[in-house]
Amino acid sequence: MSDAAACFHCALPVLDKRYTVSIDGLARAVCCPGCKAVAELIRDSGMSQYYALREAPEPGVGRPEDDAGEWEIFNRPDMLEAFGATTSGGKAEATIYVGGMYCTACSWLIETTLRAVPGVADADVNPVTHRLRTVIDTRQVGLGDVLATLARLGYHPQPLAPESSAAPEVIEQRTALKRLLVASLGMMQAMMFAVALYAGEFKGISADMERFLRLVSFFVTTPVVFYSARPFFAGAIRGIRSRHPGMDLPVAIAIGAAYAASVWSTFYDGPAVWYDSVTMFVFFLTVGRFLEMRARHRSIDKSVALTSILPNTVIRVEEDGEATVPATQLVAGDTVRIRAGEPIPADGRLLEGSTSVDEALLTGESRPLAKAPGDSLLAGSVNLDAQILLEVGNTGVDTTLGTISRLSERARYTRPGFVRVADRVASYIVVAILVVAVLVATGWSMVAPERAFEITLSVLVVTCPCALALATPAAFAAAGTRLAQLRLLVTNGDAVEAMSRATHVVFDKTGTLTRGLPRIAETRVFADDTDADTLTRIAAAIESASTHPLARAFGAIDTSFEATEVETVVGHGISGTVDGRHYRLGRSAYVAPGSSEAGTDDRPTVYIGDGETLLGVFVLDDEPRADAADTLTALRSMGLEVSLISGDRHAAVARTAEELGIDDFAAGCTPQDKLDHLKRLQAGGAVVVMVGDGINDAPILAGADASIAPAHSALLAQTSADVIMVGDLLRPVVTAVEIARHTLRIVRQNLAWAIGYNIVALPLAVAGLVPPWLAAIGMSASSLIVVLNALRLSRAGSTDRTVPA
Amino acid sequence: MSILYFLIPLALLILGLAVWAFFWAVGSGQFDDLDTPAMRIVLDDDTRPADDP
Repeated sequence: MSDAAACFHCALPVLDKRYTVSIDGLARAVCCPGCKAVAELIRDSGMSQYYALREAPEPGVGRPEDDAGEWEIFNRPDMLEAFGATTSGGKAEATIYVGGMYCTACSWLIETTLRAVPGVADADVNPVTHRLRTVIDTRQVGLGDVLATLARLGYHPQPLAPESSAAPEVIEQRTALKRLLVASLGMMQAMMFAVALYAGEFKGISADMERFLRLVSFFVTTPVVFYSARPFFAGAIRGIRSRHPGMDLPVAIAIGAAYAASVWSTFYDGPAVWYDSVTMFVFFLTVGRFLEMRARHRSIDKSVALTSILPNTVIRVEEDGEATVPATQLVAGDTVRIRAGEPIPADGRLLEGSTSVDEALLTGESRPLAKAPGDSLLAGSVNLDAQILLEVGNTGVDTTLGTISRLSERARYTRPGFVRVADRVASYIVVAILVVAVLVATGWSMVAPERAFEITLSVLVVTCPCALALATPAAFAAAGTRLAQLRLLVTNGDAVEAMSRATHVVFDKTGTLTRGLPRIAETRVFADDTDADTLTRIAAAIESASTHPLARAFGAIDTSFEATEVETVVGHGISGTVDGRHYRLGRSAYVAPGSSEAGTDDRPTVYIGDGETLLGVFVLDDEPRADAADTLTALRSMGLEVSLISGDRHAAVARTAEELGIDDFAAGCTPQDKLDHLKRLQAGGAVVVMVGDGINDAPILAGADASIAPAHSALLAQTSADVIMVGDLLRPVVTAVEIARHTLRIVRQNLAWAIGYNIVALPLAVAGLVPPWLAAIGMSASSLIVVLNALRLSRAGSTDRTVPA
Repeated sequence: MSILYFLIPLALLILGLAVWAFFWAVGSGQFDDLDTPAMRIVLDDDTRPADDP
């Protein structure tokens, strides 16, 4: 399967070589008719360059789903009222969340395609928030047409209600940008005037001009302190109130003290001003915060995470027939019709029909669960077999899905606080420098008043905290960039530090250690006239037409047979004719009425028969990822303990644990159990990295010291994780820990250098041996060395796992 | 040197105008998307499909 070519559009392996699309004169293999249609649409709209410019896609992203009909109802006028604000002249503005975007070429593709649709007046995509703002002429085009266009391009659109349109991320980014600009302009101006003051110290300066320049510096520094540095003061006050002072407190004291002393000096002709140091300190810290914020925003939008796995529309059964309504309008007591293959929109009770559901995302249970009338169903699970009627119980945030979401938010809030030793040290040293400077100033004014100013100046410049302030953020920024190159997106800067200290790595099973896809573990043949290989290939030919999750086990099998007269019998199986013989696949009672189930220790099975006798049975299990064993070995060799916590059944978990050699595992865990397990580990002093992908993993991902979620995982898991891992391999977990450890080494080196430099330079400066110009060179060189050292991280980690072309 | 007493305040005034202009630009959403513009410059909107068979 791994040697199959990748689909030109969505990068999934091409299993069926029938589909090709001609782009730029070359025939490209694609994996399915859907991808073929999307690629042709892109080509025929003259946008083939999308393929040249996009980043390498994560497999499966962009693959369209067969739900085009669903969008029709969004063309109704009342939908426009629910999801858009109509303005004068029949123009309406709507905001749509576009799922499945992964790079800036996507936003170009969406904007250009939509603007070519008659009636679309404007289309703007924000690649940070994944939101599309569009203005349409309602007389020519409906909201549903826009959504359908997006779906045809392979994205997963979701209209947003108007009130959720004002994205808090956008406001946060705007404010941060303003703060950054004020700090940078203020720093440049303050530096310029500081140079004039230093030069004046050499060449002589009139007292009036000196006082004037200090006053001007005061004017440019004041906005920096009161506007740009406001988050630090706010954080410090919050820290004092909650009795957990963080690193903001010493930072705020340093900024506040240096500023106050400078202001005093300005108005009472004191020995020196420190405006340049203040602005520079604020600027570097603000840059660090800004970069951190940008990384955080690249993760997934929280407000959409909860609802994105629920359907947009549902069929509600009313007294006078059935109506398609938006899922948000459901209330308790409604009756909803759910077809096979559709997600369940709300928690509730099964009224009519029997089916099986896939709850893997919610509970980790890898096997479909049978449900009969009266059983309860969970929002977010998928109805697999048959059409059913559901009586709606809880909706929206009251569902089990919503509860897990709240649990993960709480876990995140109470996660162990990280002590940023580096930043804290830097801040304390700033305070120490200021104290020393004041002592030096008073000391030298008593001994040699004419040299006091120059020496104080040298002390301040030579010990400028820049190198210290840069030591940590520069290293973390470089690490973030390097991890992104290796396809690991860091959304929380603290994670790098936590990963470097990690002692335990805890994995989820379904979808993380395993692919979450069934594989044929065993084939038993009951008939004499055939063999396992033939049966498998016959089954693969018939199952290729099936959408049932278990049918995917046969997807990788190269079959030479052609199945005809394929018919799906909902809830039972599938039948078809191969080589003139009729076959049935599915439950034993269907393929050969009267036969009994074979003992298969709880693993899912697919029987094959001809309607009378049983020919064989395929026993399926969940396939571990190709590199799972290697990854675990590498982690153990790095001195990390590996354990497995899963919500799946004990037998399935034990099998995977045995296959991969994991001794410590827990099965059948609810999200709360997982969280408790984690707390026990942490109480024992462990620093835990959690790797998981399901919604049921969200709380433990949020509560772990650091957490990694694959990019294909549930949105809620992604929002709870610190690092998003793009691609289909587990190996990046090892890379992440390696780079995190490397980063901490760099930070230590940087701090050692910066502190060492200060320890050597300070006595020299205090003794009056360093002229201000030399001090200025020393300060810049020191900062430069720290930054260059951090940049070494951009080559860290093995390079052989970089982005495949 | 007394010209500085006039020029520096003038420079600060211009600086203030620049900050005001930037705040206005940020407020009107021009800086919301920092990634796409770099890409947009290399994209042609009018490429026609190649003559495919």
